[in-house]
Amino acid sequence: MNLKSNPKRPRGGAADPFFRLRLFVAGDEPHSLKARETLFRLCREHLKDRCEINVVDVLQDYRAALDCHVMAVPTLIIETPPPERVIVGSLSDEDKVLAVLGIARGKVRP
Amino acid sequence: MSVRNVSGKRPSKRNLKLPLQRPLDKASTCISGLDEILEGGLPRGCTTVFNGGPGSGKTLMGMEFLYRGALAGEPGIFVGFEEPLDHLRRNAATLGWDVAALERDKRLALIEGAIQADALISGEFSLKGLLAGIAGKSREMGAKRMVIDALEVLLRLFDSSRQVRNEMHLLNDWLHAAGLTAILTTRPPASESIPSYEDFFDSMSDCVLRLDARAENQLCRRRLRVVKYRGSGFGSNEYPYVIAGTGVRIEPVSTVGLRHKPLGEKMSTGVARLDAILNGGYRRAACILLAGLPGAGKTTLAACFTAAACGRGEKVLYVSYEESEAAVIGNLQSAGVLLEPHVKAGCLRFHTAMPEAMGPEEHLIRLLTLLEEFAPHHLVLDAISACPRMGGKQTAFDFLVRLLNRCKERGVTALLVNQLSGETGRTEISGGEISSIIDTVIFLSYVEGAGEANRVVEVLKSRGSAHSNQKQEFVISDEGIRILEPYVGEGQVLTGAARRQQEARDAAEAERLILEVQAKELELEQLKALQQQVEARKNHQAFMRGALPNGGREEKRLGRDGE
Repeated sequence: MNLKSNPKRPRGGAADPFFRLRLFVAGDEPHSLKARETLFRLCREHLKDRCEINVVDVLQDYRAALDCHVMAVPTLIIETPPPERVIVGSLSDEDKVLAVLGIARGKVRP
Repeated sequence: MSVRNVSGKRPSKRNLKLPLQRPLDKASTCISGLDEILEGGLPRGCTTVFNGGPGSGKTLMGMEFLYRGALAGEPGIFVGFEEPLDHLRRNAATLGWDVAALERDKRLALIEGAIQADALISGEFSLKGLLAGIAGKSREMGAKRMVIDALEVLLRLFDSSRQVRNEMHLLNDWLHAAGLTAILTTRPPASESIPSYEDFFDSMSDCVLRLDARAENQLCRRRLRVVKYRGSGFGSNEYPYVIAGTGVRIEPVSTVGLRHKPLGEKMSTGVARLDAILNGGYRRAACILLAGLPGAGKTTLAACFTAAACGRGEKVLYVSYEESEAAVIGNLQSAGVLLEPHVKAGCLRFHTAMPEAMGPEEHLIRLLTLLEEFAPHHLVLDAISACPRMGGKQTAFDFLVRLLNRCKERGVTALLVNQLSGETGRTEISGGEISSIIDTVIFLSYVEGAGEANRVVEVLKSRGSAHSNQKQEFVISDEGIRILEPYVGEGQVLTGAARRQQEARDAAEAERLILEVQAKELELEQLKALQQQVEARKNHQAFMRGALPNGGREEKRLGRDGE
C-alpha cells in the first residue's frame, strides 16, 4: 500500500521541508485504524502536499517490519527530514505528533 | 567436541535416559548436564522461562539451546531486545559457535528487537509487529525453536500491567499454536519501584528455571534451579554451572542413581613393600587417600604410583593445587622419581592451578573436561586440603564429591593427597566428610624419639582387600621410597636410631647367647670327657677284679656275646 498525498513533489524551501513517513500497521485492528486515520488527517491539515505516506501492513509484509525493527504496531517512522524519529502508538496525542513533526498548531492554515 | 555435544549423544547420557518414562514430549536442550536435570529436556511446543540477573548467562544459555538445536536439525530464531546482535555473535564465536554459518544456511535467525531509545509513545499499541515478524520468519525457516531475550525491555513501553498481560497471553498462545519450543528470558526486578512480571511469567509458562550468579567468599558462583515443570519430574536441587570452553556446563551429582564402576584388580603402588602390605597393591578404580603431615612423603608416594602406572603405559592426570608442574617434577627428581619422560611420552599430563584462581565449578568443569579429553586411567589430586581455598569447606566437599563421582563412573583410580595440620583425629585423616567414598586410606606420619623423627606408613583402611595393619618405617632416598621390614621391639614398632640401637642391643644379646652356648658346649665336652675317664677307670677296675677271682668266667661270657 503506498498512498501518496501528492505524487508530484513540489519545490520546498528550507522552511518547508518535505516529509517521508512510514506507518506500520497490523491489518484493521483498532489501534492501526486510529493511527492511520489520525496521520492522514494531520498531514492533510498541516502538510498538504509536503509529505509522502507509506503504509506498511506487517501482516502482509513481515520482512519490512523486521528490517525496521518494528515490534510494536502502530509505529510511525519519520524518515525525512533527518534525523529519523519514531513514534509508537495510535497517535492519539496529536500535539505530541505535531511537535515531533515540527509543526505548531498555530500554523494551521484556514 | 562441539560435534559430539551437538547430537547430545554421549553414551552415558543415553543410558541414563532410556529407563525413564517420558509421557511428555521433550526437546533436548543440548546443554551439557541440563537435560539430566530436566529429565530429558524442555517441554516441546511449550514456553519455558529462564529468569536470571545480569551475568547469569541466560542469554548465552538460550543461544546454546538454539545453536546446538539448529545443528541437530531444529532451526531456531533468536529475538533480542537488549544485547546488540553483533555482540552476541562475537560472544558465541569465543565459544567456537559459528552462528554466522548457520544464519547463511537459514538454520538460525537473529532478530534485532530493540526499539530506538528515543522513540516516543503516543497512544495505544500492541506487539503485533513482533508476532507478525516472528511468525513470518518461522514459516520461512520451518523453525522449531525460539528464544525471546529480555522481553521486559519491550514490555516497559506499556504503561499498564493489564496491557502487558494481554500481550503476553497473545504471544504465548501464538507460540503454542506455532508448536515452537520457546524460551523467554527475563530478569528479576532491580528494585521494588520497577514493575516486575516475574510472577506472571512464572504462572503463564510451563517450565521455569532460575539462574543465579552470586559472589561467595569473593568467588563468583553460578547456580541453576528448576522452579517448576508442568507434567514432568525434575531435579529440584540447586545445580552449579559454568560458562567455559565450548558453552554452558552443568554438573549434577547423578540425579538418577549411582553408576559407579566396581573396584578392579590390584595394581602396583610403585613401592614393592607397600604392595605386600596391601596384599597386592591398590585396586583399580578405587579412591585412595594418602594422608599425612607436611613433609611426610605423600607427594613422593603419589609420584611413585604415577611413575609405575606410566611405566605400564597407563595414562595419569596429575592435578596440583600447590606447586607448578616444573616444581613437582624437579622435587620428585631429587627423590629419585623421574616423571619428565612420562610427560614427554604422553602418558602423564599435569593440570596446575591456584585454588583461588576461579570458582569451584570452573575448577570442576576443567577437570571433567580433561577426564573426557585425556581419558586418563588414574587421577592424582595434590592436595584435597587445598580445595577449601576455592571458597569454603562446603564448596570443597561439593567439588570433591562431584569429581570423585565422575571418577567412579568412568572407572578412574583417584589418588588423593591430604595434608593434615598438626593434631588430627582419625576422621580428618580418613578424609572427613568424603570418607565414605574413600576405599583405601594410607597414613604417613612420624615417630619421634632419640632426637629424630622417622617416617612411618600405616594402612588405615582398604576396602575389599586384606592388608597389614602394622606401622612400618620407610625412608625416602634418592632412589624413591623404600619401606623397611617391620622391626618390633619392646612392644612397639621401632624406627630410626631407636631401631638401630635395639638392633645393636639385640645383636649383642644374640652374640652373648651364642658365646654362652659355646661355653656350655665346651663345658659339656669336658663333662663328657670326664665321664669317659670315669667309665674307663670303672672298666679297668672290673677287669682287674675279674683277673683275680673270676676273670675266666668273665672272659667266657664275653666270648659268647661275640658269637
